[in-house]
Amino acid sequence: MYGKGILKGLSVTWKRFWETYTEDISWILRGKKRYNTVEGVTHRSSKDTKGIFTVQYPDERLNLPEEARYIPFLVYNEKPDGDKEILCTSCGICAKVCPPQCIWIVRSNNPETGRPIPEPTEFYIDADICMNCGFCSEYCPFDAIKMDHDFEIASYERNVFNMEKLLKPSSYYQSIRPENFAREEAARKEKEAAKAAKEAAKAAATQ
Amino acid sequence: MDNEKLSLPQYDIPEDMQHAIAVTTLDRLYNWGRRSSVWPLMFGLACCAIEMIAAQTARYDMARFGMEVMRPTPRQADLLLVSGTVTKKMVPAIVRLYNQMPEPKYVVAMGACASGGGPFKEGYNVVAGIDKFLPVDVYIPGCPPTPQALIAGMIKLQEKIDKQTMKTNRWYDKKKVDANYVPVPVLGPDLMDPRRYDELKAAAAAKATQQESA
Ligand code: SF4
Ligand code: SF4
Ligand code: SF4
Repeated sequence: MYGKGILKGLSVTWKRFWETYTEDISWILRGKKRYNTVEGVTHRSSKDTKGIFTVQYPDERLNLPEEARYIPFLVYNEKPDGDKEILCTSCGICAKVCPPQCIWIVRSNNPETGRPIPEPTEFYIDADICMNCGFCSEYCPFDAIKMDHDFEIASYERNVFNMEKLLKPSSYYQSIRPENFAREEAARKEKEAAKAAKEAAKAAATQ
Repeated sequence: MDNEKLSLPQYDIPEDMQHAIAVTTLDRLYNWGRRSSVWPLMFGLACCAIEMIAAQTARYDMARFGMEVMRPTPRQADLLLVSGTVTKKMVPAIVRLYNQMPEPKYVVAMGACASGGGPFKEGYNVVAGIDKFLPVDVYIPGCPPTPQALIAGMIKLQEKIDKQTMKTNRWYDKKKVDANYVPVPVLGPDLMDPRRYDELKAAAAAKATQQESA
């Protein structure tokens, strides 16, 4: 018989359509929200989902995994007096490893002593060239540049980000990548403890 | 769009009529019509096109914005979504497609390649950004932008359309009939020039013989 395949295909569509409503009703009966909640999106992204699974984007968004990456940003620590402690030392490693060469760092010298200032005077990333590879954050020895999760950065102009736009507090970094942050924090503490122990041992030896 | 957004607040509408009529300007009505039916050209260039296709599927469903009708012909399209690497060989075709689109028309540069050349920005065969040839309305960074980032860019485009007025749009300029025409790039020394194939071949052959004799 001709047309069997079409009927079979349509039955799949019909089943999906039907299940959308039965699922909705069962969620309502259980007193849970299937739309616009993290729980609902998680369920609709899982393999157990039934019926409709559209992500209603501006109202709800997919849960990004921790390692999701978009354009990089520069991390700064907030000092108690409100100043920003920029972690970047303008060593230029990230600019060197960046495959499309889209990082531009401006360094400057202290006018009095003539020595270089570690903090970068300006830091540009051409977001319209960056290929979100994450090499810069992998290679940075000071954990000063990290990959962002914010993807809503489309604009009417060419996106060349300067330092003002790139700087984000470490609390933001902690909020988007909690595991990474905890790991780095622990490593830093360990290093500091080791250094202190070494100095103590040295002091003890000289006495 | 709902009634509140469409009607202008500066006109007093009697209370009992507020749900029955909407006072608006032609601009608003017109913009509302256009922003709700932006039909993209079915046209993909490289890896970014895969994300564009994903954004059209049921998972993300651009039909929610009236953008589901991918037109296979430029004559029915409003939006040229440049999704991917623009090669020097392709750019004359892209510009020709753009010129064939009826006004009002918009260009969205999707991804690093279309916006600025991306990873291939100094490639011998790649144009560093379609904005060298076409007026780009929205740039979407990312390599590739995820479907959600693409939709965010499309919402940005809708916001831009909302702000436009017929008075200043370049396609209603009576004096400049050709205001919208973008000259099709000629295949010159920077682009690939098929007319010079013989010349290049001869030069390569000359170099080869030179190396052999040396
Ligand atoms: S971000 Fe890191 S790698 Fe790049 S210049 Fe600053 S400290 Fe060096
Ligand atoms: S993510 Fe990759 S392309 Fe982007 S700035 Fe870092 S190294 Fe360069
Ligand atoms: S921006 Fe990246 S994903 Fe998009 S076309 Fe270029 S290389 Fe491919």
